[in-house]
Amino acid sequence: MNKEELIAKLKVIIRPYTANNEAYDNLTENTDFIKDLEINSANLVDIVLDIEENFDVVIDNTDMERMLDVKTAIEIIETKLAAK
Amino acid sequence: MIGNDVIDIQQSRQESNWQRKGFLEKLFTAEEQFFIQQDPNPEIMVWVFWSMKEAAYKIYNRETKRREYIPKKLICKIAFIDNNCIRGQVSCGENNYHTKTAISDDSIHTIAVSCFSNLNNVFEIDKTEIFKDQYGIPYLSNGGKPTKDVSVSNHGRFEKIVTII
Repeated sequence: MNKEELIAKLKVIIRPYTANNEAYDNLTENTDFIKDLEINSANLVDIVLDIEENFDVVIDNTDMERMLDVKTAIEIIETKLAAK
Repeated sequence: MIGNDVIDIQQSRQESNWQRKGFLEKLFTAEEQFFIQQDPNPEIMVWVFWSMKEAAYKIYNRETKRREYIPKKLICKIAFIDNNCIRGQVSCGENNYHTKTAISDDSIHTIAVSCFSNLNNVFEIDKTEIFKDQYGIPYLSNGGKPTKDVSVSNHGRFEKIVTII
């Protein structure tokens, strides 16, 4: 899976938790889940759980701590997929 | 220093499914999970602990300027429960925060302070001029100049702005 495909798949996951539709439509690697997409912090865990289910990977606490933006999420997913 | 977090219970039911697989395990310590499962109303305990963590995190963020998603490192302890008020502590590494949580039929509201003696000096204020620094940390302001720490929390139907007076 290349980066564009990863971002597209991630974008589908974060859709239901996103409050700012304009930021969602203009999503880039630099988009921040909380500051830009205005995702409730209680829903960040849902994104982590959805990533685990959709990509069949395990995200540990250390990775979850950093998962605040698209770029870091993609980087973590790539690392997990490569280790499979 | 000051932090606060309000939860609209009705809104939380629409936004979150706390019973989904993995949810509690990723957000709460083993002791907190045990406390939640023992409670006659586990849903309320989930959001009490969550609002304690969020309110304490706002002070942690103010102190350290670090942005992290660290719910399990913010460890909650309940000191006592009196009707609809819960007093507790949240620790994060060497940092300790004192909390007071008010539970009503439709909301849960926690205030957190770093200095215990300030716990009874926290007051809600009306919406006013707020200045945010480069880290997004809010202050009361006067003519664009920051004057005093303030904490702002929004969820669903509620907005709470608190400061130490």
